[in-house]
Amino acid sequence: MLAGQVTMGIKLGEKVSVETLTVELTRPTELTLSGTLSTPTAQTEFRRLLQDLHAQIVAARTATFEVNVEALSFVNSSAIRAFVDWISRAAHAGYTLAFKTSPSVTWHRLSFSVLKSLAPTTVEIVESRASGGAAS
Amino acid sequence: MSVAPQAERTLKLPRREAAVEDARRFAELAVTYCTPECREAVTLAVCELGENLIKYSASSDELNVGTIGVSIEDGQVRVRAVNRVTSPEDAQRVTEIVQKMTVSDVKELYRARLQELFANPSLPRAQLGLLRMAFEGGFRLSCSFEAPQLQIVAERPCTGA
Repeated sequence: MLAGQVTMGIKLGEKVSVETLTVELTRPTELTLSGTLSTPTAQTEFRRLLQDLHAQIVAARTATFEVNVEALSFVNSSAIRAFVDWISRAAHAGYTLAFKTSPSVTWHRLSFSVLKSLAPTTVEIVESRASGGAAS
Repeated sequence: MSVAPQAERTLKLPRREAAVEDARRFAELAVTYCTPECREAVTLAVCELGENLIKYSASSDELNVGTIGVSIEDGQVRVRAVNRVTSPEDAQRVTEIVQKMTVSDVKELYRARLQELFANPSLPRAQLGLLRMAFEGGFRLSCSFEAPQLQIVAERPCTGA
């Protein structure tokens, strides 16, 4: 489970693990996700974290928030739903989500292009040049 | 209802939430010698089907929610999930989704479902798993229902086996 303080707001530089998922606010405007997200516990905590993060982004009036998923190798469909909900909230709040993806991961290549089609002005996709794994 | 191929590896999925992670590891081991693309696809299928078994299987005193099998034969990988369902309506819904996928563009179906979820965040069920298996995993799906048992079969080429 996540530490209680994280559900109240993720802190800069703090690496949080939820089972096989790792989450880190690498910069004030960048979240890095790595590992896999497949269990109901991880899904629940992930959704809560995104809700808290959305509140932080809105409070800070951030125009563009980056989400690095290059090393997020696997997610189940509940996580896709969580991304859909986040994009919906971002569209209403008026900030942009820029997803850094890896072309070598099939779900990145296929699903993020469809996610972008839901809200083209809210979602940006930045594909890494690396053939796989986390970018440095 | 089709029978299991002789070379099928089968996992009896325990009735607990963390069992999806067991299923993911099972999938990785079952196709460890296949191409990365095939391994990704099989992992996706096994996890999505496993999650459905845990969510929708009939509640009973049984320790397991159902079985997931993986087999490779004649250049085809096959993932098969079998479980007992609580409601015939759930089985009917699955059958309709699978039938729709056989006659429609799966990318368009996937996009349309994401659009529905985007427009209606309060919808209780994502219902993306089978669509992702077809769209991202490149699987052809079929299913059969003989109350109370539902079987879903997903097949795709496995050139690296």
